[in-house]
Amino acid sequence: MARIVILGAGVSGHTAALHLKRLLGSRHTITVVSPNSKWNWIPSNIWVGVGEMEKKHVIFPLAPVYQRKGIDFRQAKGVAIRPYGDADDPRPAVDIEYTLPEKAGQTERLRYDYLVNATGPKLRFEATPGLGPDGHTVSVCTADHAVEANVKLRAVIEKLKAGIPQTLVVGTGHGTCTCEGAAFEYVFNVDHELRQAGVRDLARVVYLTNEAALGDFGVDGMIFDQQGFQTTSELWTGSLFRERGVEAILGTHVFQIDEGVIHFESLDGEKHMLDFDFAMLIPPFGGQPLTAYDRDGADITADMFAPSGFMKVDADYSPKPYEEWKAEDWPSTYLAPGFDNIFAVGIAFAPPHQISKPRKTPNGTVIAPSPPRTGMPSGVMGKTAALSIAGRLKNGKDTPAHTASMAQMGAACVASAGTGLTKGSAAAMTMLPVVPDYVRYPTGRDARETQGELGLHGHWVKLMLHYLFIYKAKALPGWQLIPE
Amino acid sequence: MSETPAVVADLSRSPLPTRVTLRRRQNVVLQFVRFVRFDLRIMRMVAKGHR
Repeated sequence: MARIVILGAGVSGHTAALHLKRLLGSRHTITVVSPNSKWNWIPSNIWVGVGEMEKKHVIFPLAPVYQRKGIDFRQAKGVAIRPYGDADDPRPAVDIEYTLPEKAGQTERLRYDYLVNATGPKLRFEATPGLGPDGHTVSVCTADHAVEANVKLRAVIEKLKAGIPQTLVVGTGHGTCTCEGAAFEYVFNVDHELRQAGVRDLARVVYLTNEAALGDFGVDGMIFDQQGFQTTSELWTGSLFRERGVEAILGTHVFQIDEGVIHFESLDGEKHMLDFDFAMLIPPFGGQPLTAYDRDGADITADMFAPSGFMKVDADYSPKPYEEWKAEDWPSTYLAPGFDNIFAVGIAFAPPHQISKPRKTPNGTVIAPSPPRTGMPSGVMGKTAALSIAGRLKNGKDTPAHTASMAQMGAACVASAGTGLTKGSAAAMTMLPVVPDYVRYPTGRDARETQGELGLHGHWVKLMLHYLFIYKAKALPGWQLIPE
Repeated sequence: MSETPAVVADLSRSPLPTRVTLRRRQNVVLQFVRFVRFDLRIMRMVAKGHR
């Protein structure tokens, strides 16, 4: 009997756990280690953040699901990986520290045959002084953050109702942030709420982003084939900003936030201040703090992890100019180099480079949107790792790993622009592949599959995905029929 | 505050949707057709892209 340890129970880790259980049954032990007791459908946090959905509708407890499925669940965080074992035992192991209140602080060394690192992001609010719920801005990265964001948004709406003009800023809190899509969604949901409350005319709404152009979304934008013309996501999103009267400030690195003032540098190197009454700024992501040791206890963290804290996998990490980046630089098996039993999936793997063109200001400040690897791609990577592990356990260690490169897989991105079954709307986009492949496609992506539409149907799609993915994550009957 | 108007992106050349377009975006019947079409596109992409 083998033991598979999965660090993390987000989209990729939870997907891997459920598929491994489905594929392996009770012949092997599947252990999920997650510091959180609840699963969160993060894409719907933006609705919690504007008060259109209750927190309880975007989370559910993990333990009952794992108990029903026969998956061993440890509410703990991974602390260290020992891929060569330790002085007492050559079997590889991972050190965990419990976060479960009854066992908080206790540690344990779990031996594993296969390890899936799906630890997700560390929200690095500390990268920008004053950023985040402990500073002067709010966030929608967790359900609790979103609840707080809504409380503060309501206070701003009350002031607007009292006739006091307010400035609301939504965007990225650092030059290297990812998840611009979430900020895009939130700004238009805030705009929608202000209109519903009848106070939009007194509000200045600003989208402050590290993207050099609107519609970049950290994927270098998209080119759509629409009605016989090639149009860009920049033109398309620009139209929405203009229609809704949302101001856009592009190519920014926020370097400090004081009470009511955002300090940022723009691509031309100029430094600016922007007054605000309410700000939701996404933090930059880093890898969870995991260390690695060899059998003698020597630190090998730098060998296994990139400086960002994300785990190195089968990607081409050799430094080269932007013009030389290729689709095949991106990983496909998510196996850690030198190990045939360690996978890193979802946000946990180190991308070889950005997808969006990185830029520097004349002062040397890097403004480079990081590649998104959430949602659909995360789930696909989790399933791919599960298929590889199950294949090797069933057919032998030399069985080739399954592959799913972001340079081959597609993604659907449905960015809400307001809620309501008849009044809602969303920008519904599909792209194939996520990482542009200029060798295969002149525009980098399959023009037939890369499309964007705006309308009420997008809201219905996002709502449908909300219910479908929560159903799937609860592992209710037929869950495996819902694609990642 | 030292923000200058030049910092804000000039969107005056971005195309504004016409009233007809805005109505079409909220038309339940038309949007239902688009909803089905978009779902089919996701499924096609899943079948085509997730190798």
